[in-house]
Amino acid sequence: MLKRERNLTYALIVLVSLLTVAPVLMLVMGSFSNSLHSFGNFTLKKYISVYTDPMLFSVLGNTAIFVVGSAAFATILALFLAYLNTRTDIPFKFLFKVLSVMPMMIPHVLFGVSWALLLNPSNGILNMWLMRAFSLSSAPFNIYSLPGMVLVEGLLDMPIAYLIIAPAMGSFDASLEESSRVFKSGPVKTLMRITLPILRPAIMAAFILCIVRALASFGVPSVLGMPGRVYVLSTFIYRVITVSLIADYGKAAAIGMSILVISVGLIYVYRYFTRASDKFVTVSSRGFKPSVVQLRKGKIPLFIILLLISFILIVLPVLVLLYTSLVPYVMVPGKQAFAAMSLQNWRVVIKDPISLRSLKNSLFLCLVGATVGTFLSVLVAYVIVKIKSKASGFLESISFLSFSFPGIVIGIGFMWYFVRTPIYATIWALFFSYVATYLPYGIRPMTSAFVQIHGSLEESSLVCGASFATTMRRIVIPLLVPGIVSSWVLLATMFFRELSLSAVLSRPGTEVLAIQILRFSEDGQWGRLSALGLIMIAISIIMVAGVNILGARFKPGEVREKRVKVESQPLKATS
Amino acid sequence: MEIKIRGLKKRYYSEGKVINALDGVDLDIEANKIFTLLGPSGCGKTTLLRCIVGLETPDEGEIQIGDTIVWSKEKGIYVPTEKRQLGMVFQTYAIWPHMNVFNNVAYPLQNMKLPKAEIAARVAKTLKFVQLEGFESRPSTRLSGGQQQRVALARALVAEPKVILFDEPLSNLDAKLREETRKELKTFLGDLGITAVYVTHDRVEALALSDTIGVMNAGHIVELGSPKKIYFDADHQFVADFIGRANLIPATITEQGEAYTFVDTAVGPIRCQKRSFAPDDELVLCLRPEFIEFGKVEGDDVNHLDGTISQMSFVGEMYETEVDVNGIRIMTKLDPMTRYNEGDRVTLNVKAEQCLLVSK
Ligand SMILES: Nc1ncnc2c1ncn2[C@@H]1O[C@H](COP(=O)(O)OP(=O)(O)O)[C@@H](O)[C@H]1O
Ligand SMILES: [Mg+2]
Repeated sequence: MLKRERNLTYALIVLVSLLTVAPVLMLVMGSFSNSLHSFGNFTLKKYISVYTDPMLFSVLGNTAIFVVGSAAFATILALFLAYLNTRTDIPFKFLFKVLSVMPMMIPHVLFGVSWALLLNPSNGILNMWLMRAFSLSSAPFNIYSLPGMVLVEGLLDMPIAYLIIAPAMGSFDASLEESSRVFKSGPVKTLMRITLPILRPAIMAAFILCIVRALASFGVPSVLGMPGRVYVLSTFIYRVITVSLIADYGKAAAIGMSILVISVGLIYVYRYFTRASDKFVTVSSRGFKPSVVQLRKGKIPLFIILLLISFILIVLPVLVLLYTSLVPYVMVPGKQAFAAMSLQNWRVVIKDPISLRSLKNSLFLCLVGATVGTFLSVLVAYVIVKIKSKASGFLESISFLSFSFPGIVIGIGFMWYFVRTPIYATIWALFFSYVATYLPYGIRPMTSAFVQIHGSLEESSLVCGASFATTMRRIVIPLLVPGIVSSWVLLATMFFRELSLSAVLSRPGTEVLAIQILRFSEDGQWGRLSALGLIMIAISIIMVAGVNILGARFKPGEVREKRVKVESQPLKATS
Repeated sequence: MEIKIRGLKKRYYSEGKVINALDGVDLDIEANKIFTLLGPSGCGKTTLLRCIVGLETPDEGEIQIGDTIVWSKEKGIYVPTEKRQLGMVFQTYAIWPHMNVFNNVAYPLQNMKLPKAEIAARVAKTLKFVQLEGFESRPSTRLSGGQQQRVALARALVAEPKVILFDEPLSNLDAKLREETRKELKTFLGDLGITAVYVTHDRVEALALSDTIGVMNAGHIVELGSPKKIYFDADHQFVADFIGRANLIPATITEQGEAYTFVDTAVGPIRCQKRSFAPDDELVLCLRPEFIEFGKVEGDDVNHLDGTISQMSFVGEMYETEVDVNGIRIMTKLDPMTRYNEGDRVTLNVKAEQCLLVSK
């Protein structure tokens, strides 16, 4: 390892430790402390208070049902969709691509709200309509319940499971199945006896990742759980720091510690399964094309189901928000509602100083935060992939530390940390916590980008007399553009709608969009909420589309392509 | 420029095991000649080359290029790669996919901060030299293997380095192109007359291209010499075996004559070209198939071996033929038009001067 590489590695270890290890340490110490201001005097009081809390039992029960239920629902749905996409002749396959990226555009909290608008027991649009149509005396559905939360969270986590299962299913060695078919097993039997067992590692990995996500989820539990007093661990923490008279950050830290332990354990199980599924992938990476199942009679019904899922996931939330933003109060769509429509909510929102401030803050965090986060990700990924040493291995593990931690828990850790620094209650508190917590999402695309750049491309630059900095600027970075674009987009969309860290760290003056949505929802300001939410979705979409277009223009080689077209013909003969 | 390497050691640690990739290499590479490092894959050739360019830091020893010490453990000297002013052609060519041919080749000059006009002129000159005129604006992703190889060569040459290094530059080309390119490369290097260090595991390349060959094994330089010396006059069994097809038969000296060394082997007593060895050296007789003739030729300096043809395989330009002599299978060659058949009793002739004794 060369000296400058070693220096870079150590500098990053220090920096990343400050971002990821420090809040965890502070969380641990905080959980053994009395209060934010009497830090460090060891006490077990907070743990005792957590484990003797009469609510804890029901919270744990709710959490178990919520996470396992939604993960199971998400995984089964993903399995179904992945099978349809990769193994059958279902038409309009682009829908699957849309389905797998769309939830990136619609913030979870808004998705939850749109379901609340449809199915809440007092004035859910669908409930009111059903009551009127069938003359029911009470609302048939109550979304403010555990099953409601399970369904909505499951829909939201489906893409995570899909993105793990679909590639595994797509790169499946068809001969494994064909040999089963040769021995006279029907397609269904083959699916059950061969396909699913071989895919088990991928399915288990997807399931566990969904559990981790659901455990960390705050959006759905807060907008759908809290109104019906259905608390899970994440909202329980939130309750401890907001609802009670004095915010008890020690107790919050003690609850957080318990979640952390579960999370880390689950991630270990996840790693176990993905290690197994890596092995599986190598078996099948030789370009086999899986056999395609002819759906025949099943084609149309299955396609309708697919359309329905797409509608529920993508169109419905936007429609509901749009409708709600235009009517003065929640009413069943109809003549009366259309007559009452106006832009009143939009006018109020764009003049509302807090909404505007939250928009400004979120835009700042998203643009500057994603840029800084991507920059850091580039450096960290460089060290992880290109400098193979013990130190870089250590850097990798601390960088991915926050991957297993729910935002709200990390947020509590940051609270203990920042309260001792001047950045407490400033926008920078959010800034640093965002970058730290979402670092793994920035690093992932970058590591795969770096892996694709063969080491000799940089080495030949050095041999050609280029300094390290020139090599970075002229060789490495340009080749990384596609990776940089995906990192940036991923971080920007996540920062733009960040909720769970902000729920702990946001203060008056540093509101962000998701927090403002949460406030509107707590106050039942559905119209304004919808208008602001739509603004949020629109900006997300514009941002993602814009960056992708920009990235495509800077794609290496593409720019010069045009000039060369003429010449490229005779090459065919020689190559 | 000449290169001096002294006591170079490089260890890797991999999965708890220590790999001595370079195990004390001492080497002098003559100025303005083509030097080839030849050895089986994994013997440390690439590692040695990378130590010379500075992409790898040795654990011990010293490297001097020209008058400059570029690495010394004792003196604590490390000149970074980019300051060593060498040219190198990588095994994978390492052509930058996001740049066109011009920018790939101009890159070393741009790093020297030369004026634009001069860069353009020198790039044009170099591209002409490697016969890639008019390819300036071609994206490098649209080059064939042979063209990539030439761009890599042009890039290595453009800054007129005093030393150019090649790491198996032909191994990614298909067999036919490899032969053509090898010949071209010989012409290019002959015209340039700079110091070239060429790494390969292909003995034909080494023999055809080099002024001097250094045969490597397990982190050591085993033997050093001109292609002919290595081929005809190797000292070690490893070298004799690696440089060409050989029948290797254990031998013991029975008598040191005036003109010959007499040995006893499983195929009978053999007179060999004269060589002396340390008393306890284990010896091996090396017979190259191409020097074994069929039919009986009388003469003082000829060895006769009687045997039976046990197998003949037609491989186009010849029959690969195995002759069973006293239960030992001797590889030989027969003309494709031969009248011999499997099972024929034959006598083989080998001239004494082509019977090479090597130490084990
Ligand atoms: N970066 C490395 N880490 C661990 N072992 C290595 C590394 N590079 C090379 N080696 C080992 O060192 C030995 C010599 O490798 P190399 O110089 O590449 O051989 P060659 O070029 O002659 O095929 C091999 O055993 C190889 O496995
Ligand atoms: Mg090599």
